[in-house]
Amino acid sequence: MANTWGYGAMTNSLGDIQNSKAIIIFGANPAVNHPVGFMHFLKAKEKNNAKIIVVDPRFTKTAAKADLYAGIRPGTDIAFMYGMLHLIFKNGWHDKNFINDRVYGMEDIIEEAKKWTPEKTADVTGVSADLIIQITKLYANNTPGTLIWAMGLTQHTIGSSNTRMAPILQLALGNMGVAGGGTNILRGHDNVQGATDFGCLADSLPGYYGLAEGSWKYFAKMWNVDYEWLKARFKSPEWMGKKGFTLARWWAGVLGGNPGEDAIYNAGTNLKALMVFGNGLTSTAQTMKVKEALDNLELIVLADPFVNEGAIITDKQNDVYILPAATQFETSGSVTATNRSAQWRYKVIEPMYESKPDHEIWFELAKRLGFYNEYIAGMGKGDKFVWPDDATDEIARTVKTIGLTGWTAKRLKNHTDNWHMFDEVSLRGYGKMAGEYYGLPWPCWTDSHSGSPVLYNINLPVKEGGMGFRNRFGLEHNGQDLLSAKGSAPKDSKVKGGYPEITKENIEKVLNITLTAEEKAAMGANWKVDTSNIIAQKCMEAGIAPYGNAKARAKVWGWADEIPMHREPLHSPRTDLTKSYPSFADKKDHWRVDTRYVSEQSKQDWAKDFPVNLVTGRLVNLNGAGIENRASKYLAKLTPEMFCDINPDLAGRYGIKDGSMMWIHSPQGTKIKVKAKYSHSVAPDRVFLPFHFAGVLQGVDLSHKYPTGTKPYAIGESANVVTNYGYDIVTQIPETKGGLCQIQPA
Amino acid sequence: MSKPDFSRMKFFCDEKRCIHCDGCSVACAEAHELPVSISRRKVVTINEGIQGLEFSLSVACMHCTDAPCEQVCPVDCFYIREDGIVLHDKNKCIGCAYCLYACPFGAPQFPKDGAFGTKGVMDKCTMCAGGPEETNSAKERELYGQNRIAEGKVPVCAAMCSTKALLVGDAEEVSNIFRQRVMAYGNAGKHNANHQPYGWSKAYGK
Repeated sequence: MANTWGYGAMTNSLGDIQNSKAIIIFGANPAVNHPVGFMHFLKAKEKNNAKIIVVDPRFTKTAAKADLYAGIRPGTDIAFMYGMLHLIFKNGWHDKNFINDRVYGMEDIIEEAKKWTPEKTADVTGVSADLIIQITKLYANNTPGTLIWAMGLTQHTIGSSNTRMAPILQLALGNMGVAGGGTNILRGHDNVQGATDFGCLADSLPGYYGLAEGSWKYFAKMWNVDYEWLKARFKSPEWMGKKGFTLARWWAGVLGGNPGEDAIYNAGTNLKALMVFGNGLTSTAQTMKVKEALDNLELIVLADPFVNEGAIITDKQNDVYILPAATQFETSGSVTATNRSAQWRYKVIEPMYESKPDHEIWFELAKRLGFYNEYIAGMGKGDKFVWPDDATDEIARTVKTIGLTGWTAKRLKNHTDNWHMFDEVSLRGYGKMAGEYYGLPWPCWTDSHSGSPVLYNINLPVKEGGMGFRNRFGLEHNGQDLLSAKGSAPKDSKVKGGYPEITKENIEKVLNITLTAEEKAAMGANWKVDTSNIIAQKCMEAGIAPYGNAKARAKVWGWADEIPMHREPLHSPRTDLTKSYPSFADKKDHWRVDTRYVSEQSKQDWAKDFPVNLVTGRLVNLNGAGIENRASKYLAKLTPEMFCDINPDLAGRYGIKDGSMMWIHSPQGTKIKVKAKYSHSVAPDRVFLPFHFAGVLQGVDLSHKYPTGTKPYAIGESANVVTNYGYDIVTQIPETKGGLCQIQPA
Repeated sequence: MSKPDFSRMKFFCDEKRCIHCDGCSVACAEAHELPVSISRRKVVTINEGIQGLEFSLSVACMHCTDAPCEQVCPVDCFYIREDGIVLHDKNKCIGCAYCLYACPFGAPQFPKDGAFGTKGVMDKCTMCAGGPEETNSAKERELYGQNRIAEGKVPVCAAMCSTKALLVGDAEEVSNIFRQRVMAYGNAGKHNANHQPYGWSKAYGK
């Protein structure tokens, strides 16, 4: 997404889905995972006669509300979308003007799409040619159409290609930058968008600033600390610019160097200590590796309102600390919703018993490690700061890249306090909130900007949330202009076509203005580091988006696949297709660890020994690793046991009875014992596992390992014990939505 | 408030909106602090995984006008309020379970922790209207749970419903909300005929 048009975030909003005429959902199950947000889908259907199309390996609760459903084979979304594009280009259903004016590199897509006839697409995806034609026709002819996805699209070795393919489909249909259109990625938890925006990533400073020296220097300035002091915190300066381990493979940092493990590149040492704040360790792939890594650490600190089951699966006896972190109700601050809107969350009660909010735990830690003063220096008030208001204002001062300048604590509180004065569909405020959108969806360029409810919408002036695509990939490629065509500028723009991102150097020329000497002196080098905010102010006056106005790109130079290409999962049930669509070459030092692709895929005929497709997902009553939900008796009552959805046909072939126990074996040699639940929601070539359980490991009940009184009402096998090895080629997200397994009665 | 004198309180679950999130049943259990074995409200899905035939619906006591439970109760523990809410007196109830056999919706609940499964007095949905004890007294809360109706609040299940599938209130108001949804399909244009759920044209001519 970010590599297609500038930002990697949901482009529209949940409410805006009510404006859609067609809704196509790939690998998301909002009826279960976003039940309240799903109301907007249902309202679109009621009020707008919107067509809902679900493309998913399972007939989900969302599919039950759909007009058309395609039970796609896991990991074949790219093939499916090329199959759609084949028909779209062939029948002239694409938006030629939009592509010409605002998209670069679509020719390569048109060329690749020619290969994906309905018959060929049907063979790869397992969806009939007729249904592919029906779906494409329905979607292409009902505009605006919105494209929804979640982890079902991203958790693949080709996940990063999937997340480019979906935008390309939307670009081809001209569904971008319009109400009712967009790529609406549903964030899985409260504040996931905020967590990535604020830098919970292994390759970036807050606000996606990256790790280059210039970024560090900018942050040293904004944090009021000495750059040299920051540098001295690293083993040697080059480590400042290197990506870290990811959540998916932190365990490789502990196990690297052991026989059979992938090599690591971690400044000559293995990881020795782990601190976890609110992450269910059993909710990521390869639980047995996670366990082994936990066993081999010197120190484990788990901070959670409930006992993190990392502490239960490990056999480590000493130096495992469980800290009682406070819940969201016992602290306050801003949270960022899936649509880039912020909302202030007030404290409901004081932290109970000895629990503390996360920031207090970190402050105490920083004090003991001797850098508390530096830690709080960014707020600029010594130790007289007001939490979290001063921290929020620090973020507003610092993060220009995604336009958080307008997100002062005062404004965010004002929005939350007056939330009833906003329209649920357009997010427009009325009464005293007129001229602003709820939660000031970013980019919110200045402290009086409205927020931007729909990204890349050129039908609005920039000061009311309009913008083109971001100029992020240079000015030209292969001799072609990457800026958008004449006539494709936001409404009321002083420049009528494309323009570059704004810098101190080009601002006078692009905006056709003359700056005073004082303005020049105060201004930062470019819009991303201009703390004076003069660039943004001048841009608003000229109707210019500070980040430029460029074309979106359908190809990403420098990546393994410049345009998205179908590649079979590492563990594919179609061994025949792995010859035509092999995985990537193995990748060295991928987020500090060697990662296997084609060598794993071709190691053996996986489908022969593991003939059943395995997908995992969520249940409506549980969340993440399920730690807190399974501790609620009423939620646990709904699914008291771990289970496996299995089609009666498949079960019958293996002699597995409904309600009886069954074993599931993975290619990695791991296994789980779970209850079979007959269900027609899965086809007879695949099974589904919810990933919210823990407390039973490979058939062994771990009840005795919970500290007294902390065992949840429901425990069970963790699905991730059997999710397969496999990680995305760019992001390293695990391939949990399309692996293989073998099943047998227990 | 429209026509309070003629109000008759009703539940209605719009199956086009219900997604089986169980928000209603969990909110109910939580609000009334029910034993885990008691399910005043349940969500059911029929034909799970079968295309075109899968439907979900939230069910509890339907607060019938001619309530079969009341008809069969040997100790006459039921009473129907003026607004149509069907309640019962737990102090009179003998736990015979006749009401359960009579009820078409499986609404009456019995504690399941006794030696033979069904033991103790009956419990069911009160539409959050408490019972015969003094309104909002500790005793009423202990025996019947919250009395939200007395506080002018919507019953907790419908208040929590994530898609507003579950409607509750004066039958006419409920009917108006649902009618608006149905008519909205009509406004969407050509395709309305397929979307009207209960044969509008059959009931009212064209």
